[in-house]
Amino acid sequence: MNLSDFQIIYDERDSVITGIQTTLSLVLVSGLASVLFGLILTPLFFSKVGWVRGSIEWLCSAMRCSPFLLFVYVIYFGLPSYGINFDKYTSGLVAMIVYHSAYMAIIFRSAWVDIPAEILEAGTAYGFRGATLIRRIIGPLLLMRAIPMVGNQWIQIVKDSAYLGIISVFDITAAFNSIQSIYFNPFVCFIVAGLLYWVFCLLIELIVNLVARYARERIA
Amino acid sequence: MNASVQHESKTHQAVLRVQGISKSFGDNHVLKDISFDMQKGEVVSLLGPSGCGKSTLLRCINWLEIPDAGHIRLNSERMGYAVNGTKVGDAQLSKMRSKIGMVFQHFALWPHMTVLENVMASPLHVQKRNRKEVEQEARAVLKRVGLEDKINMLPSRLSGGQKQRVGIARALAMKPDILLFDEPTSALDPMLVGEVLEVMRDLAAEGSTMVIVTHEMKFARQVSSRIIFMDSGHIIENRSPEEFFDNPQTDKAKTFLHSVQYK
Amino acid sequence: MNFYDYLSFVYGAVSTIGVSFIAIIVGIPLGLGLALLRWAKVPLLGKCAYVYVSLVRSCPAVTLIMLIYFGLPQFEISLSPLVAAMISFSITATAFNCEIWRSALLSFDRSQYEAAQAFGMNRWIRFRYVLLPQVWRSSIPGLINEMTLLVKNSPAISVIGLLDITRAAQRIGARTYEPIPPLLVGFAIYIVIVMLLIKLQKHLEVRIRSAQEPL
Repeated sequence: MNLSDFQIIYDERDSVITGIQTTLSLVLVSGLASVLFGLILTPLFFSKVGWVRGSIEWLCSAMRCSPFLLFVYVIYFGLPSYGINFDKYTSGLVAMIVYHSAYMAIIFRSAWVDIPAEILEAGTAYGFRGATLIRRIIGPLLLMRAIPMVGNQWIQIVKDSAYLGIISVFDITAAFNSIQSIYFNPFVCFIVAGLLYWVFCLLIELIVNLVARYARERIA
Repeated sequence: MNASVQHESKTHQAVLRVQGISKSFGDNHVLKDISFDMQKGEVVSLLGPSGCGKSTLLRCINWLEIPDAGHIRLNSERMGYAVNGTKVGDAQLSKMRSKIGMVFQHFALWPHMTVLENVMASPLHVQKRNRKEVEQEARAVLKRVGLEDKINMLPSRLSGGQKQRVGIARALAMKPDILLFDEPTSALDPMLVGEVLEVMRDLAAEGSTMVIVTHEMKFARQVSSRIIFMDSGHIIENRSPEEFFDNPQTDKAKTFLHSVQYK
Repeated sequence: MNFYDYLSFVYGAVSTIGVSFIAIIVGIPLGLGLALLRWAKVPLLGKCAYVYVSLVRSCPAVTLIMLIYFGLPQFEISLSPLVAAMISFSITATAFNCEIWRSALLSFDRSQYEAAQAFGMNRWIRFRYVLLPQVWRSSIPGLINEMTLLVKNSPAISVIGLLDITRAAQRIGARTYEPIPPLLVGFAIYIVIVMLLIKLQKHLEVRIRSAQEPL
């Protein structure tokens, strides 16, 4: 390992930047979409209809047992046999969104359950019900209560994005892997890759901490 | 025919009629055949040892707890049921509930809303009234409970007494026919009890119809038009405060008054 | 799917479980060590532990394992894929265990520790008989959760050519042109592993509770 190893990475900055852009777009889109879909799924856990509750529970526990890569394979290799063809990037993105939406839903459910009963009861007593109850009272509270756990899940999303290199999505890890396979400088390449992921996660932590500070006095 | 006319006229007078309410949780019979009426402007204090069913009764009145038997009538409208006797849906129920103001022991303010938003929430989003008008009224009730300077604060910044006054303002903002107080001062520091009782005293003096579950005996005596004393799910005494406190008829009431050291 | 396909699942399951198991065995004591460094606020070392955890916690399993397997030979350290996988997963497990132990330590009532000190117990006895039993108990759910995380990240070992459950499923699918059935088999194996871990957690919790119940 010497300075020239870093020089190589600088010279190859175009592919590094492409890798960063890919990872960033995957993380941003799936990070936001999974929160959105998670929020849409969460009320189903509390549905009065048994089979709705049952199937959402089943789906989410299934995702919880499955490794992310296995699910990527289901989307990328499995769906084409049902006539659904996505390119690599879209397959990866769809896998990220679906997989992590299930995790977000689980997070939001536990945040929902943790809202003090009396606060929800006050909502009922004051005539709130159904969608209005969720929109005005439950929704904002569970979102704010879930912030730290959502932050952890976002970090998980960043880490899971690296699996997509295996189906040849050109993300950060894949970019550095391609550089090291040409120049034989694997140590520096993967160290720099690791540092980039670290920066991603530190940024997420920073944002989460800022938002959590806002939320703290609004949740109990 | 005659009897039914008489019955009708009686229901029209009473703001609240509680008729034969029973409720049990598993083997635990919390309420056993509870009945009483309340006229407009009456203040009733529900007293009794803890676990006697006072709070459950309060929760049955606004259908937070659905009684196993009996009716609740609010202005002759039967709680939870339509005129033809079928159970009502959520929408109708929420309309009925918004005529009942409830004040909770632990305040149960919505922590993510400011004081003003807490007070405006139900008139605005449930009763769907005009925002300008609602805000004007909300400011007025907050002034009435002495919190006009805390309007934009979050509940977490308020003291317990202030929180409970917001709780009362929130109840008043719905212009309810009746106010229910579930031990409104028992979660408060002794220093802060007074400010809440003062607000309630004003409300009583202005002719609000109120049901109060409380452990503040002196206060109950001063503001109540009637005391209902409960023990293990029954109403034991239902009399004027003077009669109840000065001359309790039952041993249970005597024991109770002794245990709370009421002289 | 033929006999050899099933055999490759068995092989994959063994490496998945083996790598995760080794990582846990290594990660529990090392993680505890790091957590104690942070808990006791040891100067410099405590900070180092913090940076280590933060770095490793955000590093994807795939990236870390390639760093170990492809990167270390640059320093004349040549590792077999299996050893590289075990090292990489142990590094991760250590960081995660550190966080689990630390939160257990933070919820531990320090005054008990001081009471033990007042009774003249030395550092080791305090640690072994006062601190550890209580912290161990509150860490169990976190540790089991951590094991399921390791199992779910084990497909990463396929990037250095090892055969794990997911890779086995994918290979069979590629050969038979029917990708879904082997993936479902693989999925079923993961479900069994996770269920067993959850059972283990309940078993441990019951055992510890009955051991600590007052007579």
